[in-house]
Amino acid sequence: MSEITVFKAKSIITMDPNLPRATHVAVQDGRILAVGGANCANAWGAVRHDDTLAETVLMPGLVEGHAHMMAGAIWQYIYTGFHDRIDPDGVLWPGLSDLESVVDRLAGIEQDLPDGAPLIGWGFDPIFLASDRLSRAHLDRVSSTRPVVILFSNFHLMCVNSAALDLVGYDRETNVEGVVKGSDGRPTGELQEMAAMFPIMRRMGIDFRGLTARDEAVRAYASVANRAGVTTVTDLFSQMENEDLEALKRVTSGSDFPLRVVPVLGVMGASPDEIITQVQHMRRNSTEKLRMGAVKLMTDGSIQGWTARVKWPGYVGGQPNGIWNTAPDQIRTYCTAFHAAGVQMHIHVNGDQASEVVIDALAEAMTHSPWRGHRHVLQHGQMMGMDQFRRAADLGLAVNLFANHIWYFGDQHVELTMGEDRARRMDATRSALDAGCALAIHSDAPVTPMGPLFTAWCAVNRRTMSGHVLGPAQALTVPEALHAITLGAAYTLHLDAEIGSIETGKRADFAVLGDDPLAVAPDALKDVPVLGTVFGGLVHLV
Amino acid sequence: MTPVPLTVIAGYLGAGKTTLINRLLAEDHGQKLLIMVNDFGAINIDAALLASADQDTLTLTNGCVCCTMGADLFLAVGDALDRRPPPDHIVIEASGIADPGKIANVANAEPDLRYGGIFTVVDALHFTALSTDPMIGPQINAQVAQADMLLVSKGSATQVAGALATLSGAPVLDLALTTQVAPTLLGDVERLGQAAHAPHPDYIAWSTASDVHMTRDALTALLAARPAGVFRLKGFVAALDGGGWAVQVVGRTVSISPADARRTQLVAIGLAAQVDTAAMDQWWRATLR
Repeated sequence: MSEITVFKAKSIITMDPNLPRATHVAVQDGRILAVGGANCANAWGAVRHDDTLAETVLMPGLVEGHAHMMAGAIWQYIYTGFHDRIDPDGVLWPGLSDLESVVDRLAGIEQDLPDGAPLIGWGFDPIFLASDRLSRAHLDRVSSTRPVVILFSNFHLMCVNSAALDLVGYDRETNVEGVVKGSDGRPTGELQEMAAMFPIMRRMGIDFRGLTARDEAVRAYASVANRAGVTTVTDLFSQMENEDLEALKRVTSGSDFPLRVVPVLGVMGASPDEIITQVQHMRRNSTEKLRMGAVKLMTDGSIQGWTARVKWPGYVGGQPNGIWNTAPDQIRTYCTAFHAAGVQMHIHVNGDQASEVVIDALAEAMTHSPWRGHRHVLQHGQMMGMDQFRRAADLGLAVNLFANHIWYFGDQHVELTMGEDRARRMDATRSALDAGCALAIHSDAPVTPMGPLFTAWCAVNRRTMSGHVLGPAQALTVPEALHAITLGAAYTLHLDAEIGSIETGKRADFAVLGDDPLAVAPDALKDVPVLGTVFGGLVHLV
Repeated sequence: MTPVPLTVIAGYLGAGKTTLINRLLAEDHGQKLLIMVNDFGAINIDAALLASADQDTLTLTNGCVCCTMGADLFLAVGDALDRRPPPDHIVIEASGIADPGKIANVANAEPDLRYGGIFTVVDALHFTALSTDPMIGPQINAQVAQADMLLVSKGSATQVAGALATLSGAPVLDLALTTQVAPTLLGDVERLGQAAHAPHPDYIAWSTASDVHMTRDALTALLAARPAGVFRLKGFVAALDGGGWAVQVVGRTVSISPADARRTQLVAIGLAAQVDTAAMDQWWRATLR
């Protein structure tokens, strides 16, 4: 019989209605043996009391149901975004509010780089900067000889300096869509969309699949999660190949690796049979800390990029309706095949026409083959209204809504995409619960930073960057929001039997907090300090 | 490295893209193709022609390779260019809903690639319904509008000619009327232009070589007046000052770029049913007058 450790905390929020609060939790073999007071495990024999967490508040380890492994790997590049951001090592990178600051940061780092190494930045977003567009001229001040590349936060654009343009031969003669030219007829340095960016990425070795498959990238992802109090995280469009699987198994199996990773296989174009074979292979290779077997489908684009498929009356600026990344016919084919094969689907739906097509497709799939408890998940679901949530509930679908959008893009949605009336009901968490849907909320990191307590704050307060409260009728209470980032998200991953609450028999995964999220003012939820996590009974403070 | 031509085959689900690729793989074109497909299982290769097969690559005894592109098409293009030796030609089967222009544009951007054209396969039976479908009509029509050539399957081109003409000025090839698709898709016009390689009877090959020189404006006008039915035209045209231009025509797309051209040499192919060498000669002589 292995040792029993009893952790003492200032308070434990269990998320278990049978015992909502406790002060002690007993752990054996990585699982929760008992919950209650100091004597909770005495019936089980000798215990060791551990008071290192006595001044902290414990919650179930937080669950991020929609994020991407790249959230760790991307930090090997230099952050140049508008918002403050914390890297996997805990270093705060202050947000850059003008182009001069971007140039200054890059120039400072350039001096210490070895000869020949490119300088690559990420996270830049001109939507927040009221100034000239970033151009070759700015980046030439960073270096006239070393290639300098800045990836924009949406990964659809980049800006490069003259040395990088020379490397790929972009000049006055170049006539390529996406290579932006200035009034002088020369490239400005801004490159739009993958085709124009590809020659640069190829020569700089910017390869996102390769990046995320590396050991350091996986460890960086674990650090990002650890700092956010997250003990179970998805990689929600995994492009994993068989050799990556072995590497990921090896890295995650280390006893010091404090994270359960749920890679969800991205589906793009391949036949259902091929995908089913691959995902079943992945499922068979699942381990305690690596859970596979689900797939991710794409449907439409993004609302802020005007590429989401929306219902009448469309975008307020009169932009044409968005695009399908997977044709509705193919969505129906996939839904029917995966449902029949018992493969859980996480389906990207931003616009309400996309969510409608998917709900129809799943309803159709369910007439062909019964499968109670499938828990297919509509991901983002940003425009879903009460009618769609009711249908989703009828079909047993869960939803994982993009609450962080309210803060980061809410003002843009009011002014540029949906208008105030429909923006008010975006990411309609209240409607989802009222309709009876299982609910999770997410960050989509690295699109927005991983931080379930911040995500919960967004769902509770619905504040935009300008301070506007967008759609207060859709706000969650704090307990509901905490449920969404623990048991709610665990449910969407078929893991609620193991994680998501602190109760006997579950994994000993905890978020270690410096304050009590149920005791602070609701608008201070995002400021509750995350001190680290406990994973399988091992303490990992940041 | 010598730039590798990249050709994109577009068209909606079920239009006949895979059938076209199976035809291409079965033809004797003499090139080491690298073909990226969506649905590996639908590729149909005679076992006798198969050298090896693994999870995501089929290698043929003639040196052609067929592979899946995975979720990241551009990564796969990078991998294709990194092969040693590189392929003679890359052919990409776009997904049923893809914007082929966004893919083919990489051939203009990447110095190691050369634009090989966009070929959109149109299913004559279903095109009209798809084209007016409120959900996907705009994307289907964009695939047609972006095409350099339109390839009609599953029926006669005359059934859809009117609808296609409102969307695109690209030449239309009825796939049922030719037994060879490689000359059109790959544009190996130099090979066809050589006397040793008599063109397939479905095609005509026309060529010229002379000391003729012309201005860029004259060249532009000349190419704009080319006979309908010229699918591919390629070569060099000399300028008066000693420089010149490289010329390439793929269906409706004409590209002219500065090049060192001492002589004027052009080769063209078209479908014998639509154009003949006499018409080509007449065009060439008329514009030189």
